[in-house]
Amino acid sequence: MTRSAMADARIESYLNHLQSALRGVAPEYREDILREIRAHIMDSAEHSPDHAGAVDRVLRLLGTPEELAARYSAECQLERASRSFSPWLILRTCWNWAKLGIKGALAFFVAVFGYGLALGFTGAVLIKPFMPSKVGMWIGPEGLNIGVPAHPEQMHELLGNYFVPVIAVAAFLSAIGTTHLLRWMMRKRAPGLAVPSDTPTVVAQIQPREAMNLRG
Amino acid sequence: MAILASLWQSRLYGLEILRALSEKSQLEVAEGTLYPILSRLKAEGLLDSEWVEAEAGHPRKYYWLTSRGRRRAREMAGAWNEFADKLSVLVEPVVGGEER
Repeated sequence: MTRSAMADARIESYLNHLQSALRGVAPEYREDILREIRAHIMDSAEHSPDHAGAVDRVLRLLGTPEELAARYSAECQLERASRSFSPWLILRTCWNWAKLGIKGALAFFVAVFGYGLALGFTGAVLIKPFMPSKVGMWIGPEGLNIGVPAHPEQMHELLGNYFVPVIAVAAFLSAIGTTHLLRWMMRKRAPGLAVPSDTPTVVAQIQPREAMNLRG
Repeated sequence: MAILASLWQSRLYGLEILRALSEKSQLEVAEGTLYPILSRLKAEGLLDSEWVEAEAGHPRKYYWLTSRGRRRAREMAGAWNEFADKLSVLVEPVVGGEER
């Protein structure tokens, strides 16, 4: 096999791997992505005197098929989650986003804290009818405690019969507030900088041009 | 913002966007980063695209800004200029060599 034929075989193998890595993407998008990446490889390599070398370089710059597919799904998911009100989708997206950098990690922290708070409040509201004298908003020497304190005898309950409605509203507000904050963060993130920080072979989002002589 | 700005004057395909970014602003965007972003910008309705048959023998996917994309590019460019101006004021004494 000539070097050029081997390079073509590498292109086909790359695209096959990409196709299987893009399983989660809708078929019509998947075909479109494959077609576009194929066109890109052809365009990048066609005028180069060293066809095989040019193919190798462009495949390296694209990243492994798995990395490329992961980036497509991360972009799709962020876009979808930024329009969604589903805490589960938002939380999952934040987790994937957290793997891509510090902003994502912050978003994930906000998500865990905000939704955790909402969940805690909801739990307190649900168990209140079963333990009416133990669950409450307590204030005492150790500060404020919403739920079941260890030493209720030293503390004073603030809400009484208002506990359920007040804490239910608080749970609702913290869930809605967290969702809105995260949707805002997802929309505001700088487009083009959502790049995994742990994959140096493909990072290169902003590098001095000397560092990466893209095309000969 | 850089990708939106690169499409301000004409419709381009992926490789041309990379070249425009690298030639005009020395920004090196890796191809593995560019295409997923283009697909997301399209999903957001900021870009639109079309396959065009080219003399190269295979079709190319050309992108252009939608009216929403133009509006967003203008906003981002404005915000960027404001940021750059403020930073220039901050670094002015450093560049001018003034000592305290």
